[in-house]
Amino acid sequence: MTALASSAITASDRPLGSAATPARSFVGGIAAFARREFRDAIASRWFLLYTVAFTVLAVGVSFLSLSGVGSHGFAGFGRTAAGLLNLVMLVVPLMALTAGAGAIAGERERGTLIYLLAQPVSRTQLILGKYVGLATALVCSLCIGFGVSAAVLAWRAGGVGITAYAMLVAFTALLALAMLSVGVLISVVSRRSAVATGIALFVWLTLVFVSDLGLMASSILFRLRVQEIFSLAIVNPMQSFKMAVIVNMNASLDVLGPVGAYASFTLGRALPWVLAATIAAWAAVPLVLATILFARRNSP
Amino acid sequence: MRRFRGIILGLFASASVAAPQQSPGPQRQPVAVVTAMIDAAAPGSVVRLPPGVYEGNLVIRKPVTLDGGGKAVFDGLGRGTVIEIAVAGVSLRGCTVRASGDDVTGESAAIRAITGPVTIESNRVEDALYGIDLREAPGSVIRDNIIHCKPLDPERRGDGIRLWWSHGVVVERNAVHQSRDIVFWYSENLIVRHNTVTGSRYGLHFMYSHDTTLSHNVLSDNSVGVYLMYSNDIALTDNRMINNRGASGYGLGLKDCDGIVIKGNALLANRVGVYIDNSPCSVGSTGLFESNMIAFNEIGLLATPNTHSNVFVANAFIENEQPATTHGRGQLTSNVFARDGVGNYWSDYAGLDLDGDGIGDTPYEPRSLFGAMLTAEPNLRLFVHTPAQRAIEFTARALPELRPVPMLIDPAPLAVPPTVGSEIADAPGSRAPMAALAAGLLLSAIGSAFALGRERRALPVPEGNNA
Repeated sequence: MTALASSAITASDRPLGSAATPARSFVGGIAAFARREFRDAIASRWFLLYTVAFTVLAVGVSFLSLSGVGSHGFAGFGRTAAGLLNLVMLVVPLMALTAGAGAIAGERERGTLIYLLAQPVSRTQLILGKYVGLATALVCSLCIGFGVSAAVLAWRAGGVGITAYAMLVAFTALLALAMLSVGVLISVVSRRSAVATGIALFVWLTLVFVSDLGLMASSILFRLRVQEIFSLAIVNPMQSFKMAVIVNMNASLDVLGPVGAYASFTLGRALPWVLAATIAAWAAVPLVLATILFARRNSP
Repeated sequence: MRRFRGIILGLFASASVAAPQQSPGPQRQPVAVVTAMIDAAAPGSVVRLPPGVYEGNLVIRKPVTLDGGGKAVFDGLGRGTVIEIAVAGVSLRGCTVRASGDDVTGESAAIRAITGPVTIESNRVEDALYGIDLREAPGSVIRDNIIHCKPLDPERRGDGIRLWWSHGVVVERNAVHQSRDIVFWYSENLIVRHNTVTGSRYGLHFMYSHDTTLSHNVLSDNSVGVYLMYSNDIALTDNRMINNRGASGYGLGLKDCDGIVIKGNALLANRVGVYIDNSPCSVGSTGLFESNMIAFNEIGLLATPNTHSNVFVANAFIENEQPATTHGRGQLTSNVFARDGVGNYWSDYAGLDLDGDGIGDTPYEPRSLFGAMLTAEPNLRLFVHTPAQRAIEFTARALPELRPVPMLIDPAPLAVPPTVGSEIADAPGSRAPMAALAAGLLLSAIGSAFALGRERRALPVPEGNNA
């Protein structure tokens, strides 16, 4: 955090647009902030820590899944993917939510936000730039983890399941973008960075554990029908993500019992797209909200 | 394309009157040409067919060997059965047989024998409702055929290979794709080996067919790999059932079968590895499962609650989402999971083997709370592979009063996985694409870090902008 703070201050010492010339184009302004945010991110400890942790865990899962009993081609890959799925669902939302939560609240608390806003760029450009920069950093971090893990798979299992693996990477990136969006929204509405981080952790806990446990309990208590359970489940981006990855591996959701079979039967080929759309909505809606709220504020 | 070329050549051949009788290249002729050749041949002789396309429905009424040399094509033009063998002693080999009718009531087939023995060898069947259909053809041989059925909805398809009242038949090295089943009705003492079935409903399906050995078959991507129904004394050895899925997807299903021996098979990545529905069903009969690899399935072993008297020994249950459970309530405790102090390997066994005798020091007694919840509420399967599932299992371990009764008891769990009899080769596959993906991911990460993370060459900073 200190690294982030100090780099933020040094970064804001530099001109973002060239102050001598009139304001940059809209996209140019966003790009300038994105570059700055990206530089700050990869120079900071959280990024390094998360990248290293994610990479070590991903490689560990790949190794464990493929060791001991032989890989058995596709079958072994299924296990690796299931392990990676669990890992991704725990770690990636945590990375993205906390990274997003620090984006605005941290600078506001340290007083650096006012310097940034003094630049000849709009508030919209600033927040979008921050989002793009952090998103790029996150995706890079995931690419490193999945890249090393793919190298292990190539070495131990050959090219089995490469499409499913590529889709796992793509959907993980989409999930990270969605969670980053939520994090940024939390950051905009929080006055202090500790509060933002707290809320982010709460949201993480809710999405990862509480909502699933709640839905399990409600499905038993209220005797929910499969279509109701499915509709409620895909509201959670974590569940949508999980189903999307499984549907890419198995072409059907029968793995997930009656509810999955119902989803495969009714939606058919549209299923992966529906799932991708719900995650994309989680990326778009909070970001738009955050931008509107941030642009409307009078105080930093 | 081939069809098009055939038409052009056919036109050419008919246009040039002077062309010799045996002009090379595929040629469209009515199947009566073949009938005439058979009529002219002596019984027991070999009729070698010139390359060409023979259109229509052929009935063979003389015991001859019909050899297509790999270049003769029988085209049923989408009507009825393409080749019907009406006399014993016929051999059919090296032919391509395609385009049978698709009416379910007529059960149109590419190749049908209504008596036997016959030999059907090295043929290629395409676009057929039923592929090879033997009716009361004992002692026949079906070998080295490649069968693709019509691309119909699964419920409209016919069987790739069907035996009806045909004892002592050899079915080997056939490859069947996109059919309903390879199905055996009332046929005993068969040899079924080295066949491959993919994309079908049931790979190998036994109905009231006893005393048979199935070995070295590969059944993948079907709804069910092998389904034995009302069939007794069958040995299933060294087969592979992989990725058989769907709402009722099983690697191996057993329905009311006595005296079954399942040995050295690999059941991998199926929805359910082994499904047992009331087998064995007679008093005093047992089922034996020995040295099988049951791995990576959603459910390793699923059985109806009344299932009893099966013996499981030296099997490897590896990384199944649920190792063993019942279909409905109850436990599997009326089955035996060890013999002479040797149990099975369970990858989720948490005990130790401190005395180093290869047997775990405490019994294997799986008590999964989430598993018990799934049995009561199948809809909860939606939540497998989630952190919430792990949280529930963790809670059950922490609070013993929440733990369900054990699903089964293996008194002598193996400490290391046994070597499974059949050779389980890893799926071949080039490493290059995966390595390329790995390199691509890493390079894009490093590349963007360089491109974006590098300090821009500092612009001349205006004096007033330094805070």
